[in-house]
Formats: sequence, C-alpha cells, structure tokens
Amino acid sequence: MLRTDVTQGRARLDLLDPVDVARLGGLEVTTEGVVEGFLTGLHRSPRRGFSVEFAEHRMYQPGDELRYVDWKMLARSDRLYVKQFEEETNLRAMVVCDASRSMAWSGAPEQALTKLEYAQRLIAALTLVLLRQRDATGLIVFDEAVRSVTPPRARLGQWRQIVEKLSGLEAGAGTAAEPALRRVVNQLRRRGLVVFVSDLLLERDLAMTALRFLRHRGHQVIVLHLMDPAEVALSGPAEARFEDPETGRAVVIRPRDWASAYDETVRGAVSDWRAACRRSGIGYHRIVTDTPFGQTLRTVLSPRGGA
Amino acid sequence: MSFLHPWALAGLLAAAVPILLHLIQRREPPTVMFPAVRYLIDATREHQRRLRVRHWLLLAIRTLLLVALVLAAAGPLIARPGVASHAPAALVLVLDNSASSAAISGGTRRLDDLVRAADGALARATPNDALWLLAADGVPRRGDAATLRTMVKQVMPSARRLDLGEAVVTASRVLSGEKRPGEVLLLSDVQATALGPATVAVPLTVGRPRGEPPRNAGIASLDVGPQPWSVDGGRVAVTLAGDSGVQSAITVRLGDRPPREALATVGDAVTLAVPPAAPGWRVLAADLTGDELRLDDRRVAAVRVAPVARADCAPGGRYALAACDVLASNGRLAAGGDVRLGGFGASASIILPPDDAAAVGALNRELERRGVPWRFGAPGPAGVSDSGALLGGTRVMRRLRLESTGSGRSGVLASINRDPWLVRSGPVLLLGSRLEPEWTDLPITAGFMRFVDQLLNRLARGELVALDAAPGDPVAVPDVADAVAQGERRVSVEGGAHYVPADTGVQFLLSGNDTVGVLTVNLDARESRLAPATDRQLRELWQGVRIVDLERAPAQAFANAARGDLTSAFLWLALLLGISEIGLASWWKRA
Repeated sequence: MLRTDVTQGRARLDLLDPVDVARLGGLEVTTEGVVEGFLTGLHRSPRRGFSVEFAEHRMYQPGDELRYVDWKMLARSDRLYVKQFEEETNLRAMVVCDASRSMAWSGAPEQALTKLEYAQRLIAALTLVLLRQRDATGLIVFDEAVRSVTPPRARLGQWRQIVEKLSGLEAGAGTAAEPALRRVVNQLRRRGLVVFVSDLLLERDLAMTALRFLRHRGHQVIVLHLMDPAEVALSGPAEARFEDPETGRAVVIRPRDWASAYDETVRGAVSDWRAACRRSGIGYHRIVTDTPFGQTLRTVLSPRGGA
Repeated sequence: MSFLHPWALAGLLAAAVPILLHLIQRREPPTVMFPAVRYLIDATREHQRRLRVRHWLLLAIRTLLLVALVLAAAGPLIARPGVASHAPAALVLVLDNSASSAAISGGTRRLDDLVRAADGALARATPNDALWLLAADGVPRRGDAATLRTMVKQVMPSARRLDLGEAVVTASRVLSGEKRPGEVLLLSDVQATALGPATVAVPLTVGRPRGEPPRNAGIASLDVGPQPWSVDGGRVAVTLAGDSGVQSAITVRLGDRPPREALATVGDAVTLAVPPAAPGWRVLAADLTGDELRLDDRRVAAVRVAPVARADCAPGGRYALAACDVLASNGRLAAGGDVRLGGFGASASIILPPDDAAAVGALNRELERRGVPWRFGAPGPAGVSDSGALLGGTRVMRRLRLESTGSGRSGVLASINRDPWLVRSGPVLLLGSRLEPEWTDLPITAGFMRFVDQLLNRLARGELVALDAAPGDPVAVPDVADAVAQGERRVSVEGGAHYVPADTGVQFLLSGNDTVGVLTVNLDARESRLAPATDRQLRELWQGVRIVDLERAPAQAFANAARGDLTSAFLWLALLLGISEIGLASWWKRA
C-alpha cells in the first residue's frame, strides 16, 4: 500500500518513518524520493540563487578567456570587463561520516534503523540536495581510521559515486574522528561546509579540537549527533550487563533503577556538546534515528541550521 | 523473652526470603550490547553509592518486616515485674506453719498473716501454672490454685520444726524437673534458729513479717532420770528456753498425784521432787505459765514406776558384778534371784556365751529344753552395734552368732551387722558376747551402767526402751515393736524401721499386747526462740534471695514469669515498616 502510494506520488517519503522508507527500496531510489518530497515541501525552490548566473564584473586581465568578456560593457564604456558567474562562488561541502562499530547498532532492529543505516540515508539525501544546488560535495568515511575519501565535485555523477560509497559501507571497529576531520582541510581549500555525522561516542576534546580547527579555517561546521531511541531512554531486562561493542567496557545495572540517572547523564552530555559547539560557532543537532528524514533535512538546511 | 506459640518462630525462615531474592538477583545477568555504556558508567559512578544504600535499606526493612510479623504471630512475652499477667510458671509456696507460727503478735497469730499472704499469692496463679504447697511436714503437695487455697486456709500451727534451708532445697528439687520457669516463695517468720544453708537453683523470694516478735519462754527439757522409778517417787529437772526475761511458774504433775510448782527464768534448770506413785506407766507433765506462744509451754515424759529388780549378777563376770554393786548402792537394784545375769534365774534370765566353747552345746540343749527358740552358734565376725536406740555404736570384737530355731526372728533387741546380738524369748534374754573387754568394749564405756540398768530393770522384766523425739523426727523403732499407741490411736509399725511421730505426747511401743517401750514426743526446744534472722543473715545463707515484706509478698509471686504481651508492639512495628517500605520505594521510584 505504502509502495503504491509512493509510486503514485501520493506519499512523501521525507515524512515517513525511516524504517518504512528503508523498506521501500535501495538507497538511491528512496533517497531521491526523500529529496523530492523534501524539495516539494519547500515553498521556495532552493535552486534560485544557486544557478549558474551572472554575479559581478571585474577588470579584464591578460590571460582571461575572451568568451567571458562583456562586449556590451565594452561598447558602452569602452573598457574591458569580464563576467564572473555564480558557479564560481558555489558551496563546497564535505560530509564526514562516522562508521565505527557503535554506529552499527539499533536498540530495536525490527523497529529502527541502525545509526549507520540512518546516516547512510541522511547523507545520501543531504548530498543530493547539495549537488542539485550545484554545490561541490564530497564524503569522508572513517572508523578507527579514515576509510575512504570522496573529493568534493559538483558534476552529475558525483552523487552516484557517493551513494556507491555509502551503499558499500560496513561498520569498522573503533572511532578516530580527528584524523578524518583534519583530512577535510585538504579537500576544502576554500571556505566551505563541513557536516559531521556521528553518534559522538568518541573523545570529545579531540573531536572538538578538530572541529574548532575547521571552524577557524572559515568553514561552516554542522555536527549531526545521531542517537538511537534506546540510547535516549534506557530500557531492558530487570537486570542486565550492558557492554560497549567498541571498547568492551561493561556495567551491570537494573535499567529501571538507573533510567532516571541515565536520562540525566545523557541530557548533560548533549548539553555539553551543544554548549561546546555553540562556543565555537559550530552548528549542533541531536537527531534521533526514528526522526523522518525530511524533518532532519529541514533542520539541517534551514537558514539557522548552521552556526 | 518467651513466646505463647514458639512453633511460629519457624516462620523466621521467611525472613531469609528477601535476602535469598537479593542473592538470586545477583546472578550473572544477560549481556546487552549498548554503545552508550559511557553514559551508564557516568550515571552509575554518580549514583551507585546512593542506590546501594537504598537497596540495603529496603532489604533491611523488608527483612525486619517479616521478622516483626513472625514474632507477633509467636506471641512474644517479656518479663516485666509488677504487671498482672505472667507466663506459665511453676511455683513452690513454702508456708512455715511450724510451732513458732502460733505465736501471737499484736493480737494476731503469726500464721494467720502468713496464710493471708499465701492465699494472695495463689490467687495470682493461672490454670497454666504448676503449683506446690510445702508446709512444716516437709511434703510438697501439688494442686491447682483452688485446691491449694483451700488447703492453705486449713493449715494450722504444727508442732513440727521446719528447717527453712531444707525446705528451700526441697522446693528447688521439686522444680528441677519442671520445664516452666520456676520460683520459690517462702512465707515465714524466719526464726534465726530455723535457718540452714541452702543452694537454690531457682529464684527465691522470702516474705517475712516485720516488727519484733513477742518475748517467749518455753520448756526446753524435762529430765525424769533413770527408770523405772521406785514406788518412793523420783526427781525431775526442768529447763527453760526462749528470750523472755520474766520469771515463770512451772508446774509438774505425775498422773493424778498432787502437782509440784517452782519459779524459773529462761536458762534456769529447776529440780523438783515428785511424790510416790503406784507401780505402772505414768505420764509426767510440766506446764509453764501461759505466754504468747502456748505450744512450748507444756512438756511431757513417761515414767515407769516399779519396784527395782532383785538381781544376781555374779555369774555375769566381774564387770557385770561391779556395775550391779553400783546400781544397788543407788537404789536401782536389790540383791535377789529374780533376775540372774549370766545364768537361769527364778523369773528372768540373761544368758551369756560360756567361757568354754565346749559348754555351748550343753547350754543350747538347756535352752531348747526351756523352749527358747534361740541357740548360740559359731563365732561371728566383729562389728558395731546398729541398734542405736539401746546401745548406740557399741564395738563388739568377739561374739557367737545367735541362731533362731523357730520361724522368723522375733525378739531381736539389738544386732551386730544385722546379725542378732541381743534377743529375748519370754523371760530369757540371750546376749551374743560376754560382758568382758576382750568380747566387747561395752564394759569399759560410760554407757555400761545405764545398759546394765536397762537390762535388769526393764528388758529382763519385759519393758524395752524409752525414746525421745520431736514431731517430725524419724525414730528407729525397736525390732520387737509392731505398733505405736497414743491414747486410743494405734499405728502399726515395722520393727527396725523408722517411725515419724506427728504430734507431741507420750506414745507407747507395743509388741502385741505388751508394752515394750515408750516414745516421748515434745516440741523442738529451738522453736521457743522466736528471734528472727536478719536480712543480711538470709542473704549470706541463700545467695540471690529476694526479701520482701509479707504484705508485698503476694505481688512478688510469679514475678519472674511476669510478662507483657508484645504482640501489639510487633504488629505496629510491622505496620510502620510496611508503610516505610512502600513510601520509600515509591518515592525513590519517582525520584
């Protein structure tokens, strides 16, 4: 029924539950549906102002291509001006994706995507939106090391290349965000947009240092903090041994007794991240993996979505 | 603390349930993969200690809750002296109705106060109590409260002396087999002369009247001298005992003869000459002017009035002859052949073993010819006389056995190692040893004169012994006696056994229809001294004794088992714990 609605254009995938979206098809197809739905929902097309159009004039300099000379200006003012187009000021964006083992976890596998699956789809949708705006977009995937780097490009095949990388993504072992974030510097020589997608179960100081470094380089930085619903509200059997799949650290507790304290601690951690990011001019969004993709995109891409 | 339903304490095992649950829940729990463990660790680091305290507090509250419920079900009782109720207990009530309790003080007989206190103590008993009453007769009587209260009200002053130490020990022994908590309540005037040391294993409370006892004088002894008296009369010595300094008048009367009177004070010994009387048994009574204790103002003695024996002691040897000469010089014997010591006489014969062993056969044949069912046998082993009433502990080195040729062994007057040593058959007495030092040390002892006197004047003439005793004292009855008579009352006894006289007076020992002895029973002279013991003396003699005024004694009965019922307290505690548990658990859950 849902599939029928989608094919007939009656359902907007961007508003569906992420699990339902994932069930509809592959990453590429569903992401396009999500983005289409997302763009449809906007009252004003984001393409405006992002198109390849005239931006300004500057004095001709030797070596400039003659095809960019504004002949009309020459006729009117007898001076050589060349046209500069919007394409030259387009955004260059790098998405940094955490593919550590902790990301490949869902508290309820039947009911929620793992954080990594959610990140795959979210990143695919985000990069599609950016690329449609002619923004050069790249992708860095890391776990305990940088696993892959897709340099930012604005060409048409870039998105498929990113999707291909995302589709073949498998969770690694540990988490080492700092090297990956520093690799961004090599990929974004001009000021650009850096989107860091992670569950932030990592060394905060190191990560923040790297993020602040990017911010100081003039990049707009957005941190998307992915959390599983089961990580937000603690639950489980009467008593259980909770073990970190990455580090192997474990603790035996009664979830019912600790739910309140855990909630308090998580709120504190989120608050700390948010405060640290705000102090550094970094955008921070906590995203629970049962949030529809359209809502997440709207949050991230809104004018106040950045810092 | 004790319990009405101790079996319910088995429920205390339920108190282990929370602990067991706690331990069970500490088993290795299932493992759950959870990436955000760092948040859990941070959270637990902060709250772990607080939660642990909560867990243990809840565990303690739940355990205590179960314990409180179980204890409440078991009916806990706690010892609280002064409360009306008490746990099932065992009580021996010692009521001192000895002769001194008959003393009148302040217009009231001491025993009446004691009885009132005893009745009050028994009134506090419950059907679950075990009760005994021990009076001056020394016999613990068990019964329910109603029965014992009836008995107590019927108790009269006894002529017996009650040794309080022995009474307390007896009471303690009675309680030794009792599972219920036991105690002894002694109600007594606590005469100093009645005290004796005792070790009591149970709580002992003494209820004693306060106030000075009356001054008293009583007749301590009445000595009638050697018997029988001649028809010319005799002399008696009267001694007074007590703590009175007042001179009292003594009156001595022999049968229906005119009385003799004298004045005496405590400690004096007065000798009075008693006028002649006709032969026979006579009762001599000495009376004192009446005072606050009447029971000790009269003393009796039995006097045998008869002509002295006409005896021939020559055949008995030189020691016997010397003794007879002394007795004759004192008017206790007369020369003659009625009684012969060492041979056959005209009316009575005292036969001794012959010097020559070869003559034993002829002597035995003569005895047989005279119809005497006894004969001399082979020499027997040495020994000591066990017929204390007649001989005391006389040592015998040499003797011939006295063998009965008839059925039974009636007529035994004295024995050595339970072998007959002095026997009588009609007018013939047989003695197993000659009255010489190489046979027995009797001739060289101070009692020899008295023995010969009794042998000739009384035994050979059919009379036996004169015994003195106090009521309640066991008296060894001569072998020949088979009954004791006092007035019209006649009690069968077994010769050689012990007889316990209950009342004062003169009692005659009978063998069939013959009077073979007399038993004079008088009050123990110690009963006349009414001075009480001090509390300090009591505490020194009886460790741990509690001493209270007689008026307070009933309230002290069952004090050791007095209890308060804690069931309600434990139920309230359980309720409080339950509310606490629910409240804390809910609050913490919300927090």
